[in-house]
Amino acid sequence: MLSQRLANIIFAVLIIAASGWFAWVAQGFEAAGLLAASGLPSRFFPQLLLAGLAICAVLVLVTYIVKGRASEDEPDHLYESPRAALRGLATLVMVICGYVIWQHWSFEAMAVFLGPATLLAMGERNPVIYAVVLALAGGVYLIFTQLLGTQF
Amino acid sequence: MFELAAIGTAFANLADPFTILMLVLGLILGLVIGILPGLGPPIAIALALPFTFYMEPVPSLVLLLAIYNAAIYGGSISAVAVGIPGTGAAIATVMDGNAMFKQGRGGEALGLSLTGSVIGGLVSVVCLAFIAPLLAQVAIKFGPREFLAISIFGLVVVVRVAGTSMTKGLLMGALGIFLTTWGLDELNGAERYTFGTYHLYEGIPLVPFLVGLFAVSEVLIGAERALEKIRFDHESLVVNLPGAKTLKKLKGNLMRSSLIGTVIGIIPGEGAAVAAFFAYAEEKRRSKHPEKFGTGIPDGVVAPETANNATVGGALIPTLTLGVPGSPAAAVLLGAFLIQGLAPGPTLFEERPDIMFSLFLGLFLINILLLFIGLITIRFAAKLIMVPMTVIVPTVLLLSVTGIYAVSNSIFQVGVLLAAGVLGYVVRKLGYSIAPLSIGFVLGHILENALRQSITIADGSIREFFNTPIGLSIYAALILTILWGPIMDWVKKRNAGKVEDS
Repeated sequence: MLSQRLANIIFAVLIIAASGWFAWVAQGFEAAGLLAASGLPSRFFPQLLLAGLAICAVLVLVTYIVKGRASEDEPDHLYESPRAALRGLATLVMVICGYVIWQHWSFEAMAVFLGPATLLAMGERNPVIYAVVLALAGGVYLIFTQLLGTQF
Repeated sequence: MFELAAIGTAFANLADPFTILMLVLGLILGLVIGILPGLGPPIAIALALPFTFYMEPVPSLVLLLAIYNAAIYGGSISAVAVGIPGTGAAIATVMDGNAMFKQGRGGEALGLSLTGSVIGGLVSVVCLAFIAPLLAQVAIKFGPREFLAISIFGLVVVVRVAGTSMTKGLLMGALGIFLTTWGLDELNGAERYTFGTYHLYEGIPLVPFLVGLFAVSEVLIGAERALEKIRFDHESLVVNLPGAKTLKKLKGNLMRSSLIGTVIGIIPGEGAAVAAFFAYAEEKRRSKHPEKFGTGIPDGVVAPETANNATVGGALIPTLTLGVPGSPAAAVLLGAFLIQGLAPGPTLFEERPDIMFSLFLGLFLINILLLFIGLITIRFAAKLIMVPMTVIVPTVLLLSVTGIYAVSNSIFQVGVLLAAGVLGYVVRKLGYSIAPLSIGFVLGHILENALRQSITIADGSIREFFNTPIGLSIYAALILTILWGPIMDWVKKRNAGKVEDS
């Protein structure tokens, strides 16, 4: 199981790296025309924030390296159990798959896929729940298409 | 201050059958979502937001305010019945509410929480109606330096109370503001982080970002504990409203908690949960029998429930007058104003006083109707606690993506919704609070424009930058807010030392 400490250290390092990259990208911001020379440059505010973001990330990094946790009531692990991790992450994957299905096929295909797929990801075995979720998906579809006139 | 014509229009707006329908629907929806553990007011408002796209401003805002109010109250039902708070605001209610339920006094506890919620809500609406127009008159004189001060105040206070780590809160606040810098620079048209796509010219859209951050991240966390079963006793779910004698006994508690809730609601970031705990602690401190708190006494239910509903009116004061949201739910509500083409702030009181008064009167009506709808639906609504998480997760997900697509007709915005959901999920798993992230995202534009304009006005002079009496008083209030806790701790330690010495 991934510990809070390690996960937070990785996250802080990623934030520092991302801040550096975004600050570098900000160097290339250019205003066009007459407004170009007016006021502060466009990169000023994002770079100011990125500096603050990086400093906070360094402080978080140091806290986790030295103390091991940011507060006393913080749990040791990211997930309560391997099963909880599997359910959460599998549901996340199904949601992303649903988005890809919508992009490549249709909304209807995504709506039919999303309910049963997330139920499977959560480990649900009761067929009644599958039927209820599909019925609710149908209800949502009808409300938006018939009542609100949404065209998918 | 009170324009009669605007008040007349507000009455006419509220007499419209569609507005009344939306009000009742909002109360029922808010109750339902508030009861479901994990789904709080920001999610409830976020889910209904896309539907308001098709409505006029008054019915849409009344719908969302009804949801906001009822969702905070709804959280107390599951807190009392199963000891699981439906919302963060109801955590303090669990202690005495659930203890009363276990003693077979669930009906009494539910009646007390309903009465407290309604009274707290009504007091806060009266405060809102009187304070907001006055504050708007002051705020109309605000320039960039004052808006900069108020935005910094809002953000720092949110960071201070969100989560247990100040550094983590600051990181989230900075991230939220940074994300608002994406898109075309409003002041000189430069492209910033658009990555070659025209979708990002107007920046990251507010509504899908907030819906994703609150709703999608919450259901992903909910998916982890999807198969946990909830068990509770169906008996003792008939509401017994307190009689005149009980109310007389509780009147001090009701008034104090209402005022605590309203004041805490006004301070940005100090949400309903903080108000509930503060009111609970205050009543315990004043009680002649503090040891009875937690064993199932009416004061322990009334204090948090009155205070948490009183935060609604309080939180709307900075939201409506300054455009600075008083809570995450108010931040989502701000999105509803923007959908309607209304920019919350001092000018809104001058431009659309009819809408402002419609909201004040609407909130008053919402609290009155909450009493009746709460009484009727509570028995049925409490059974919703049994709805399995496996049904909630896919339904909320589908509602979120469909709603966002219906509003924007853009699959890109659905992508933003999911990306914000994943971001919210990751940071919450890592122990960060999403409140500073959301408030930072809402305040980012105001903050950047105010800062850049203030620097231009100051023309390199630090003295000129701070040459603003209103701004300086806001900074002073901020310093006082930050130092208040440590000062009180120091005073308590000093007094404790003196007692030991003597």
